[in-house]
Amino acid sequence: MARRNKLLASSIEATRYQREWFAGLREAVAGGAPLALVNADAPQEIFRAMGIPYVVNQWWASVVAAKRRTGEYLRTLRENGYPDYSEQYSATSLASVFAEIPDPPWNGLPRPTIVLGDTTGDASRKVFDIWDEQDGIAYYPLESAAADTVPVNWWELMPDQWETVIGTARLDLMVAELEGLVRFLETTTGRVFRESRFREVMALINEQEEWNRRTRDLIARTRPVPLRVDDSISSVMVPQWHRGTVWARDAARRFHDEVAARVAAGEAACPGERLRLMWIGRGLWYDMDFYRYFEERHGAVFVWSMYLAIAADGYIRHGDDPMRALAARFAAFSDQLYRPPWSNEWYLKEARLHQVDGVVHLVGEDARSGWFITETLERAGIPVFELRVDNVDQRAYDLTTVRAAVDDWLTDRVAGRASKKPSPHTPSAP
Amino acid sequence: MSTTPAALKELRDAYDDRPAAIRRRRAAGAPVVGCVGADVPVELVTAAGALPVRLAGDPARDRAAADRYLGTGLDPAARSILAGLLSGEPELDLLLISNDCAASLRLFYTVRELRRLGVEPSLPRTHLVDVLHLPHRTTTRYNRVRLAETKELLERWSGRRIGESELAKAVRQHDEARRRILALRRLRTADRPALRGEDALVAIGAGAVLTPEEHAALLDRLMLADAGLPRYDGPRLYLTGSAHDGPEVYRAIEAAGYLIVADDHDWGDALAGPLVGEPTLDALAERYQYRAPTAARSSVRVRADQTAATVERSHPDLLVCYVRDRDEAPAWDFPAQRRAAGVPAVILEHRRYGELGEDALPIIADALRTARQNGETG
Ligand code: SF4
Ligand code: SF4
Repeated sequence: MARRNKLLASSIEATRYQREWFAGLREAVAGGAPLALVNADAPQEIFRAMGIPYVVNQWWASVVAAKRRTGEYLRTLRENGYPDYSEQYSATSLASVFAEIPDPPWNGLPRPTIVLGDTTGDASRKVFDIWDEQDGIAYYPLESAAADTVPVNWWELMPDQWETVIGTARLDLMVAELEGLVRFLETTTGRVFRESRFREVMALINEQEEWNRRTRDLIARTRPVPLRVDDSISSVMVPQWHRGTVWARDAARRFHDEVAARVAAGEAACPGERLRLMWIGRGLWYDMDFYRYFEERHGAVFVWSMYLAIAADGYIRHGDDPMRALAARFAAFSDQLYRPPWSNEWYLKEARLHQVDGVVHLVGEDARSGWFITETLERAGIPVFELRVDNVDQRAYDLTTVRAAVDDWLTDRVAGRASKKPSPHTPSAP
Repeated sequence: MSTTPAALKELRDAYDDRPAAIRRRRAAGAPVVGCVGADVPVELVTAAGALPVRLAGDPARDRAAADRYLGTGLDPAARSILAGLLSGEPELDLLLISNDCAASLRLFYTVRELRRLGVEPSLPRTHLVDVLHLPHRTTTRYNRVRLAETKELLERWSGRRIGESELAKAVRQHDEARRRILALRRLRTADRPALRGEDALVAIGAGAVLTPEEHAALLDRLMLADAGLPRYDGPRLYLTGSAHDGPEVYRAIEAAGYLIVADDHDWGDALAGPLVGEPTLDALAERYQYRAPTAARSSVRVRADQTAATVERSHPDLLVCYVRDRDEAPAWDFPAQRRAAGVPAVILEHRRYGELGEDALPIIADALRTARQNGETG
């Protein structure tokens, strides 16, 4: 067995904060505060600025999945006449509105009063419509627009030239959606939206993501890589859920400093690092040992984290008009990750930045831009292993077969290729 | 059995071999613009002097080439459209893809990227028409911008200015065809219907490859023949759920003696309404934003209202919700539709593209039998 790492201090602090936050939220809601359930790619900043507590839908689904309780929630949906095979991730939380399962994770999800999500998916917007049917719960739908043509290098342009990247029509629409949301929240919650507070929130987020950017760059250029991807997930994600707070900004800085200290001390995830790998797709939340196995066998380390990378590149928006900047953060947010040419070209840029030798690409049935990601990387000479599983549905996942297949691929395609090019560093002995 | 009226036969010929109809048109020198989804403003295409043809999938077509790019997690109807495009059939001068459902949008991104990478050089020049549907003025304003862009694009592409008179003529022509599609409902929903569901599907869908004048003329002839048409009897079904871009499922249901007296997807009854009216971009923007509800783009509540209204005008014995595999939105609508319908309802989930599935007829028969026993049907 591979050794377990000492947990990162930033990760321990993140977990502690998350517990404390959820307990506080529960108390606030019990005391009559409104509660919003918002999608991960929706403008939570508005809620932050107005002091309206919110839970991120996908965070909750990940908590449930990590505890392997998703199936029970899906059964509740089925029992209430809804499909258990559709939008499993975003529908997990909906089940709680019908009946809480016995001994639920984190004592269950408090009942929201507002839900927020866009209308991208045919089925995913319906999930929100069902929320909307419930007593005392309102759904505020956000329009989701698309563009005919886009420049490819969004990651370079987004921070300052977002108007060119996204286009005026989409931004005008999203600004109008957000203005409407503010009025809706002012009216339904009685809370106040202050521009000064909103500017503060937006500035904190840019600062937080600038820290993530420094951390990402540091990890990308350091060989052997200073920490394991899965060790950093909480250190990145928990502050992301809390973006717009001083705690989150400082947490991102503490995480950066912790990584920098590891680099300075020469600490490495795997001192015998021979191969650098990139993991594309949702993480296998329930099988972190998967990542360790290949270190032992091949000195192959997963060095790239989507969570850190999208935090570094996906959020920063400068500009004098905070509402338009916020619109620019979300008008095309998921395009960055899922729609060609943005997704595939970005993954290639990140693969090069992190000096990876090979890519394991988790392709669900819902492949989105899957073919293009593989094609773009392979064209650039980076071998790709396509792993076809669904991270929510564990039934589709056969560990032994997958490991053997990745094993063969590392031996046949990655190791040979990596040893042919001159290595800039001498690997240290294990 | 009386013979099929000539007009219906002509509509059926156009419908059954849509690629042939497109080839004929091109051979005659007319540019053909492929349209994906019912949100492409066909009026602008017609006004630019081209023929808008709506692309359909085909369950019998091999989808492997498309699945390679799109994956298998997407509505097979959209994958089938891409498979058709990759095979070069039909020949198109331009392709306009609307954002009428998530699968169409994904299809657009895929075609755009395949063209950018130079992987499939045979794909036609392609553009997105991003018409959105939330019932807000802000959305109308956005759609208006997108339609103006589409108009300019068509003008550049065709080299013809779309002036007021061209637009007025095109709007009038398409509205006339729509008016007749709406009038056709009377034949389907009569006490003894003169059109089966499949006939109506074919009569409406033939418009995908006909000019609006041709379509309107054929529908006129069909309706004039009304008195001489055969009458059908049988348990009346209202088919909701996924859209049907081919006749297979209708055929399988009606071959068993049922009549599909209503449906609510945009290859059927939900294609025509409302009319555009005024020949302006504002009127076009509103027409496409507020066109009849569909499972893919409308809220659960609006779909339930639509169900109630459709039951009201068609008097079905049973509501049948057909949910195609990978087209899951209709399954979320169903509980509310069932409550709104006021007639018995069944859901058929996980249907394979173009197939009714072996369990379907027994499920329908059971539901009707139970309803009769409970005295729920008339
Ligand atoms: S160098 Fe060897 S012992 Fe050390 S972490 Fe890597 S695989 Fe494990
Ligand atoms: S009531 Fe129903 S059918 Fe009538 S316009 Fe409204 S949504 Fe459409």
